[in-house]
Amino acid sequence: MRKLLIVTLLFSLALIQTAFARTVEVEVHGMTCAFCVDSLERKFGKMESVSDVQVSLKTKKVRLETDGSHPSIDTIKQTVIDAGFTPINIYEVSADQE
Amino acid sequence: MKSLLTKSKLTLILCLGSLGLGIANNSYAMGLRSFVALPVEKEGAVIRLAFEHEQDTDTNTLTTSAAYGISNKQTLLLSMPYRLSTAGGNRQGDLSALYRHIIWQEDTLSGTNRLGFLGGAIIPTDDDRDGAAQAGFVFTHFKNRNEIDIDALYQAGSKNRSDRGRYDISWQYRLSPTERFDWGLDQELNTVLELNGRWTEGNKAVHQITVGLQRIHQKWVIEGGVAKDVINGNDLRYILSMRFHF
Repeated sequence: MRKLLIVTLLFSLALIQTAFARTVEVEVHGMTCAFCVDSLERKFGKMESVSDVQVSLKTKKVRLETDGSHPSIDTIKQTVIDAGFTPINIYEVSADQE
Repeated sequence: MKSLLTKSKLTLILCLGSLGLGIANNSYAMGLRSFVALPVEKEGAVIRLAFEHEQDTDTNTLTTSAAYGISNKQTLLLSMPYRLSTAGGNRQGDLSALYRHIIWQEDTLSGTNRLGFLGGAIIPTDDDRDGAAQAGFVFTHFKNRNEIDIDALYQAGSKNRSDRGRYDISWQYRLSPTERFDWGLDQELNTVLELNGRWTEGNKAVHQITVGLQRIHQKWVIEGGVAKDVINGNDLRYILSMRFHF
């Protein structure tokens, strides 16, 4: 019985996690090179709430897989600025847009 | 015989470097002869090891440079040469410390334009030498596959140290890939063409042309080239350097 409860609890947690997970895309101006990509990946990669970072030099976008409401829009903006670039637009990507 | 051996070693190093240039991945810009155009993110660091062989004097020099991002606009740049050739006196060169402040930046979808002010000092590492104050500027224009870096630096020597000046105009063009991936990175290969000038008080300015290649990976860059005096000199230099991003 205890095992069943634990499994149910873990399953519920996973469901909650999935429900709150979000994909955020940031349009970034000023990205020119591989080091730029590395800078952004390092900065966002250090955040506990970010599970994956992808950068596109072609479309000048950063895609973040986050665990929930964190990081905030302001934190994302500041991180891009600290990396030396200009954040233009930040938006959540829905499942059908991906 | 010794000279022949040195030249063979140099050729080997250059061949290995060229091989690395041929098989490595991704690209990041900045000229071959100058370190000041390099953008560094807040709390980020770049180390560069540059080997230079001067043909006329048969001198090999290793210059270690480091850049640290204090903020997105402020960078600390340190550089110190060390003469590998054993002839002569003190082999340790003087420390160049520069502070760079980006005073104007315009980022666009296809690139960026940045103007930075440079200020700092030359700190002598030997009691027999004198220091200098240095100031200058660096401008970067990046658009699509082209980057142009222009920098100039003036060193006002104290006591017995001569005043010096330098400029570098560097054009880097991305040869490959012609199209970037949708997500993620491919290695890049850049060609580099530069016009450089070096001046020491009491002498005529020596103008040089530098040609080279850069192979740029996400965390490191390997680059090599040849610099030739074209006005007021006849020297030839071979340069091989590596940069690492931390």
